[in-house]
Amino acid sequence: MLKRKMIKNFTWPLKTATREIEVTRLYPEFMMNLPAAERGIHELDATICIGCGTCARVCPNSCIEMVNFKFGSPLKNKKMQFPQIDYGRCMFCGLCVDECPVECLKMGQKVTMAGWTREDIIKSPDFLATKRFSAKEVADLEAEAKRIAAEKAAAKKAAAKEGAAKEGAAKKPAKEGAAAIKNGEAKPKEGGAA
Amino acid sequence: MTNASEVLSSIQSAFPGAVLDSRVESDRRLWATIDSKKILDVCKHLTAKLDFDHYSGSAGVDWMARNEMEVVEIMTSHGAHQVVAMLKVKTPRDNPSVPSLVPLYWNANWYEREIWEMLGINMEGHPELYPLLLSDPLVGSWPWRKDFKGYPDLTTGERAVAITTPEGYTDYYFPPTQAEVEAGTVVAERPKYPTFLEREEREIKSDSEMIMHLGPQHAMVPGPFLLDILVEGERVKKAFLDIGYIHKGIEKIMENRSWLQGITYTDRMCYVASLTNNECYCGAVEKILGLEVPERAQYIRVILEELSRIQSHLIGTGEFLTLIAGVGFAPWQYMIIDRERIISLIESVTGARLTHTFVRFGGVRNDLPEGFAEQCRKDLPYMKSRIEEFIDLFAQDPIYHARMENIGSISPETGKRLGCSGPVLRATGVAYDMRKEDPYLVYPELDFKIITGTRGDSADRIDVRLREMLESIHIIEQCLDKIPSGPIKTEAKIPKKVPAGEAYYRVEDPRGEMGMYVISDGGDKPYRVKVRGPFYATFQTLTPLLEGVYIADAVAIAGSMDGCPSESDR
Ligand code: SF4
Ligand code: SF4
Repeated sequence: MLKRKMIKNFTWPLKTATREIEVTRLYPEFMMNLPAAERGIHELDATICIGCGTCARVCPNSCIEMVNFKFGSPLKNKKMQFPQIDYGRCMFCGLCVDECPVECLKMGQKVTMAGWTREDIIKSPDFLATKRFSAKEVADLEAEAKRIAAEKAAAKKAAAKEGAAKEGAAKKPAKEGAAAIKNGEAKPKEGGAA
Repeated sequence: MTNASEVLSSIQSAFPGAVLDSRVESDRRLWATIDSKKILDVCKHLTAKLDFDHYSGSAGVDWMARNEMEVVEIMTSHGAHQVVAMLKVKTPRDNPSVPSLVPLYWNANWYEREIWEMLGINMEGHPELYPLLLSDPLVGSWPWRKDFKGYPDLTTGERAVAITTPEGYTDYYFPPTQAEVEAGTVVAERPKYPTFLEREEREIKSDSEMIMHLGPQHAMVPGPFLLDILVEGERVKKAFLDIGYIHKGIEKIMENRSWLQGITYTDRMCYVASLTNNECYCGAVEKILGLEVPERAQYIRVILEELSRIQSHLIGTGEFLTLIAGVGFAPWQYMIIDRERIISLIESVTGARLTHTFVRFGGVRNDLPEGFAEQCRKDLPYMKSRIEEFIDLFAQDPIYHARMENIGSISPETGKRLGCSGPVLRATGVAYDMRKEDPYLVYPELDFKIITGTRGDSADRIDVRLREMLESIHIIEQCLDKIPSGPIKTEAKIPKKVPAGEAYYRVEDPRGEMGMYVISDGGDKPYRVKVRGPFYATFQTLTPLLEGVYIADAVAIAGSMDGCPSESDR
């Protein structure tokens, strides 16, 4: 009786093991299929990142540092600061992705990141950026930014002059001056878009 | 059925003047500040007259600004009613002391030891006030007080000075540096108590007895903990448990992280149950915020938490059965193969295999991907057939039975008295499950049974887990049919600063009753988070259970609890 019962416990694994052997994943020769939601290495769209640093502030492990990177948009990201991620500390929680106000940080299906030293796995925006501007585009945008800045400065000056001219008249001119600055801001933006 | 205001009026009429302050949050939650002189009587009254037979734990809170400390006793019932009474006892901050509840409830022991070692609140009448989680050199620094300045750096080996103990062993001592003395991180005065070793050795009564160490690194244990058994021949006479080897101070860390960042820490208490841990924390914060979770998000949470329960039970059962190794077939690898399917399902939604950080305040992170329901409908019937096969295999294996049946049996009364929960308690026949007891999410709308056992032994605990997986599959199938479309996050804006308040939220973790007590003082960080973990309670019951068993059975009993020291140490 005992023996007969025991036998099933040996036949079952034998049957099962011969039926379903494809369990081992042949990584790294074959990468497994990762779902679309996978939280792998970050992907940064440098063309729209505004360099606000929200991702750096929200990261529980403080692995994001804002560093300089050349191929973003100087129009949107004035200081040209982009996130650099230390994968030695990152736990792939995705909070940085959720909190990004312009949704330029994503997490992709790429998961290989091993390096020989700790410095190797601190990935710069250069590594993370999936979308970026070319040097020429950046130069154009920079010129654009300069032009806007110059226009702004000019508008400001003009406003200041106006304000100075009408100094005698009490409060009204100051408001007009402010309006002038606003107009000055609005115009170059349209120009930028065109 | 009893509700919170009835409980309050009953206390008030029985002990006039004992209730200093009270708040009835809902029918199921009562907050009351009790005079510390009356707390023992009030608890006695609650247990005797109002069926509060489950002492669920206690939390210590340091109110530095008010110059007082608080101990919150969490009193609940095993199914007689659904009221959770949170009884606060206040004590002045200099020389804090409150009466101990150990004379009334056996399981208050660990909770109060923890409060003593972390906050320095003396527990009057506690029989064994020894540190539980902290190592001896750190006791006396009271780390959970709000003015705690940090530990001295004991990690650098060069600082260690070797000393020879009277027994001839080499021990190490870290002389404090001048800077540390000035910064106030050095423990000025260490409380006196017998060490773990001394406590063990004074139990050795004759030459035929000896102490055997199982752990802290042992094949039996799923994480590091030290189980020392005092044996005479083949019999265990007494067991000693030392935990705290992976005490991470998660509760303290969460006080120093923003509300949102806290979610990632709850993941790391126990990685196999991280979704329920997320749920517990987010649920508590949602309660303070008064957020409504959209229905679709609730369904998604239920689906994932049940999937997570299945994978947790698979790993708990499979891992354990390799430990007792008496089974003709080793189910571990088969269970892991099956678990892989469940993990893939979870991964396709959350994007991570283990630490999900998925539940958010007022919703979830991602929606179900396309084809998720189809994949579930394909995988779940397969899982069902597999689990039925496992049940069948276990049921007819004579070696398994010899090894497991009537080993470590707990009677329903003992189970309730010891304060364990989850499959361990349900195996004794007590149908105690938070999903029914303190319903959350959409569980009240779903049809499911609470699985119970009859004998309360090791075999029953495994059996309950296996059958619970079938029940989880049933729940998920219903959810897939019922899930409405709609938003997955609340439209309300979640503020950076949570308004002042407190909440206690309970969920059914794969291991049992899990509760989180969250306090906000209106800041951008939690003021206090207390985790009442399920395994902490179950762990405590291990030492009395091991008394009188064979050494070989110690493994069968400890393993069948499906332990996770990481969660109990926090
Ligand atoms: S990635 Fe997003 S959050 Fe981070 S700096 Fe750029 S815009 Fe801000
Ligand atoms: S995924 Fe989490 S840990 Fe990693 S960089 Fe983003 S916020 Fe930090």
